[in-house]
Amino acid sequence: MKCLSFQPKNNDCDFERIARFQKDMNIRTATLCAERAEIITRSFQETEGEPIVIRRAKAFADILKEMTIYIQKDSLIIGNQACRNFAAPVFPEYSYDWVIEEMDEFAHRSGDSFQVDEATKQRLRALEGYWIGKTHKDEVLKNLPLINREAEKQSVLHRGGISMSGDGHIIPNHDFVLKYGFGGMRDIAKEKLTHDDLTEEQRDFYQASILAMEGALTYIKRFSELALQEAKHCTDEKRAKELEALGEMFATFMEGGARSFHEAVEAVYMTHLLMMIESNGHSFSFGRFDQYVWPYYQADIESGKLSKEKALEIITHFFIMTNSLNKIRPWDHTQYSGGYPLYSNLMVSGLKPNGEDGTNDISYLCLEAMNLSMLPEPNLSVRFHEHTPHSLMKDAAKLIRKGFGMPSIFCDEVCIPAMQSLGLDLAVARDYASMGCVETAIPGRWGHRATGMTYVNFGKILELVMNNGMDPESGVQLVKLNGEPGRDIHYESYEEIWQAWEKLLAFYTGLAVDCDLVCDRSLKYHDADAFASCTVNSSLARGKTLKNGGAEYDYVSSSSIGMSVVGDSLAAIKKLVFEDKKLTLQQIRDAMDHNFEGLEGAKIRKLCKQAPKFGNDDDYVDEIVADVYESYLKLLPSFKTDRYGKGPIGCTYTMSTSNITSYVPNGFEVGATPDGRLATKPLNEGASPCLGADKEGPTAVINSISKLPNKRMAGGQLLNMRFSPNALDGEENLEKFTRFMEAGRNKNIFHNQFNIVDSETLKKAKAHPEEYPDLMVRVAGYCALFSTLMPEAQDAIIARTELSW
Amino acid sequence: MVQGRVSKLQRYATKDGPGLRTTVFMTGCNLRCKWCANPEMLNAKGGMFYYKERCQHCGICVQMAALGTITFAEIGCAIDREHCGDLEPIKDACPFEAYESTSQLMDCETLVHKLLRDREFYENSNGGVTFSGGEAGLQDDFLYACAAKLRQAGIHTALDTAGLLEPQRLLRLCQVFDLVLYDIKAFDADIHKRCTGVDNTLILENAKLLCKQKMPMIVRMIVVPGMNDDPADITARLQFVKSLGSSVKQVDLLPYHNLGEGKYDKLGMTYELHDIGKMSDERMEAIKQEGQKLGLHMTIGG
Repeated sequence: MKCLSFQPKNNDCDFERIARFQKDMNIRTATLCAERAEIITRSFQETEGEPIVIRRAKAFADILKEMTIYIQKDSLIIGNQACRNFAAPVFPEYSYDWVIEEMDEFAHRSGDSFQVDEATKQRLRALEGYWIGKTHKDEVLKNLPLINREAEKQSVLHRGGISMSGDGHIIPNHDFVLKYGFGGMRDIAKEKLTHDDLTEEQRDFYQASILAMEGALTYIKRFSELALQEAKHCTDEKRAKELEALGEMFATFMEGGARSFHEAVEAVYMTHLLMMIESNGHSFSFGRFDQYVWPYYQADIESGKLSKEKALEIITHFFIMTNSLNKIRPWDHTQYSGGYPLYSNLMVSGLKPNGEDGTNDISYLCLEAMNLSMLPEPNLSVRFHEHTPHSLMKDAAKLIRKGFGMPSIFCDEVCIPAMQSLGLDLAVARDYASMGCVETAIPGRWGHRATGMTYVNFGKILELVMNNGMDPESGVQLVKLNGEPGRDIHYESYEEIWQAWEKLLAFYTGLAVDCDLVCDRSLKYHDADAFASCTVNSSLARGKTLKNGGAEYDYVSSSSIGMSVVGDSLAAIKKLVFEDKKLTLQQIRDAMDHNFEGLEGAKIRKLCKQAPKFGNDDDYVDEIVADVYESYLKLLPSFKTDRYGKGPIGCTYTMSTSNITSYVPNGFEVGATPDGRLATKPLNEGASPCLGADKEGPTAVINSISKLPNKRMAGGQLLNMRFSPNALDGEENLEKFTRFMEAGRNKNIFHNQFNIVDSETLKKAKAHPEEYPDLMVRVAGYCALFSTLMPEAQDAIIARTELSW
Repeated sequence: MVQGRVSKLQRYATKDGPGLRTTVFMTGCNLRCKWCANPEMLNAKGGMFYYKERCQHCGICVQMAALGTITFAEIGCAIDREHCGDLEPIKDACPFEAYESTSQLMDCETLVHKLLRDREFYENSNGGVTFSGGEAGLQDDFLYACAAKLRQAGIHTALDTAGLLEPQRLLRLCQVFDLVLYDIKAFDADIHKRCTGVDNTLILENAKLLCKQKMPMIVRMIVVPGMNDDPADITARLQFVKSLGSSVKQVDLLPYHNLGEGKYDKLGMTYELHDIGKMSDERMEAIKQEGQKLGLHMTIGG
């Protein structure tokens, strides 16, 4: 196995084993596991009437006590989420109707399929009765205003995952977790309980925290026994020794802080895993891994307990093990997030809070580990700034050249000011990490959620602007822009159209926030998760769960889809109708109605397509796209989250373009648009130009993006570029590509990610998935195996302009 | 204001000089290399691509063109390029964008302004701007004006030329360029004539002249199977390059590729070298080593 730049000097890292382990994990099959669902159902039946935070903690502890555990063959990192590798546990408390309804379809999905055997189906069906009317989703639907349902009928709004699942989106304070361990956190809660001025909420929370931490420690001790047992029967001497050592380690593991580098990494994995047994949110992320494990690494290296090679082996095993976890979503949500993503982001390098460069051995080793593990999780990201070593960026480029989309890169010179735009101190802002795909948060300080609660389809809003607020597809009209019913509207000037845009945007943003609030209020109950809450600053001190205001900071970034389509469309209208007067608005709308069909439609479409397009460094349209961003940025800070006034700093909204694969299904719902896009075709991905619109090459794309208000995109700005493989061939091209990435720093580029696969390969992989089982692509802020995506998402990735030079 | 006819700007160019560059492809050429990969730039007035697969048989072009010069074919239309007249208005009228012009007139200010937009990429990678073509030197007034402005702005400039130009024109251009990429397509005059349609005496003389002027040069030697790959001529080429002395910083061997072949059909032209195969890697490596033995700094592909 060839490393990027690391040269092993001993045999401490078993590369052969890694290759075997990687292969096993790569061919894993997604299945369902009924255990968690059964245990929580029984547990909830026993705890009826108790406070929810305690009920959830008890159920959590019951699950950890009773579930099947196993030690993954070959792995130095242990801990399992469900009864089998890559089996998704089921979380009936969030929503259950779709599990039952779609059960027979899981195996036949066009993407993200799950194999479910008959016995599992029966076990799951048997639980249905208890959960009817009791789930989070039931609560959301009960409280969702009628007008929101109408806006959903119009396809402007899409209720995100949190309307029917847990929230996730947490980066624990790992410095804290590693220092105190689960036992230490339990002891803090115990001490708190001795105070006699506690509210009922606080008392419940502390009791729940103790239960949860005890449950976690019980789970760990089960592994100690199992490892020692397996050690006895293991015929391979080296492995037997390892199992014995693991058995000993787990006997007291996490009762206090981590005592070695190996324990530190295991603790990070274990914390992650436990959060994903407690709740079925996603985007539980690792934050700045190279920063918080550094002291443990340094101490073990200095004392001679650890070699760099062994550290690489441990990190690689950890990376591979993050792929043993899984999550199942209903089909309509799967379309928004294809490829079994968990979005477990892991970040390396970047400035430390004191302004020094944080690059260390671990930063490099993580790139090496990803090069060895080559699986979709963790979602590896690299931060860089003026003084980041060129050698790190070069290693990043070498990894990117491998063509599986990682790492994505974040530029400190843009991201830090963006975080400061929320009012954060510089030192705090410097500690940012990406969470999920490209959402940015401050590790250990943010409680739940950056982006994507309720999706807002900007492309559809534009269509409504053209139709007096009426959706031509459903006929639903919530706003009559000119005061008259019906879809006819006349605009005298571009300014009038712009005003209509702003009016509708404000209206639907209000509805989106209302939907967020409905979901959040229900999750206060259903996501009352003591374990996860304890890992984030302030929660233990305040005695509150994160959803109830336990976190130090609280921000939600609203998820917007299709800014480039909107900007390109407005530019076409402005130029063709109001400046060059080549077309009338009526002509454009008629052509949209007929999807540009017929000779007349083709003539109009040609003009529309030839109008300026975002992504070509053309100020005319780039400024209009920037206007679209501004129109949203202007609105958002006035909206408050449900935690406002309850403790956390902030509790407002910011903007993000981390819209995962939603640009594909959102496109299904939008008719033809004035930029020449045909009906049902995808909208644009993140901040990237529309599919095929950028014709001037990668530097022009960067220049266009540089004109957007990236330094105020505190929720994350997503750019996805594709290069043909020969553009990175050889040392010289690699160096040039690295320089290109680094130049983004001077170009106001928040984030960039690269796909290095040619369209031919992708087309072949679509036709013959069995021949390309490990072809991984960058989707939209995360990586997925190409073969697991649904065909429409595959097509969108193939169509994304190939920058082939 | 000086205007030039530009075929395209290639941003993020990595093969036309050091660092990341923008290559400006100029139209017009005084050579007719059989292997030309940019046939749309041969004509000084530019060319017109026709994408027959986009055609929907609407008949607009058939009606607009002189009688019988554009007719329906099984796929798309058949165009009699000699008699059909100016295709520009037809391009504008075609609703399906089957016609595409391959060049545009640009004034110096507009072009330089556009080129400067990638300044950060040039600077971060020690790159710059390269003028190529076609034969860029044919539009020397325009080039001179543009390169002078770029240099004034601190941008590295390179000229990619086949060198068939009056010496004084070439020398004047060299005043505003930091680097010349100089094609030597054959040493033997007959081979050169057979491959490119022109004699190479002036080209070789100009190469010597530039070296006398201490102009930094990268020599580019294209090698095409059966055309200019005669071992004796390759040796002569390398020896000639060696004789040029220290001005030659690097020699790029360019193995033949047929990536331009598809363009011929779109231009209504015939590609003569269809199916001639590729140069073997071994052969290219051997030529590289031959040059290295002479003390030349050799690359394959640049």
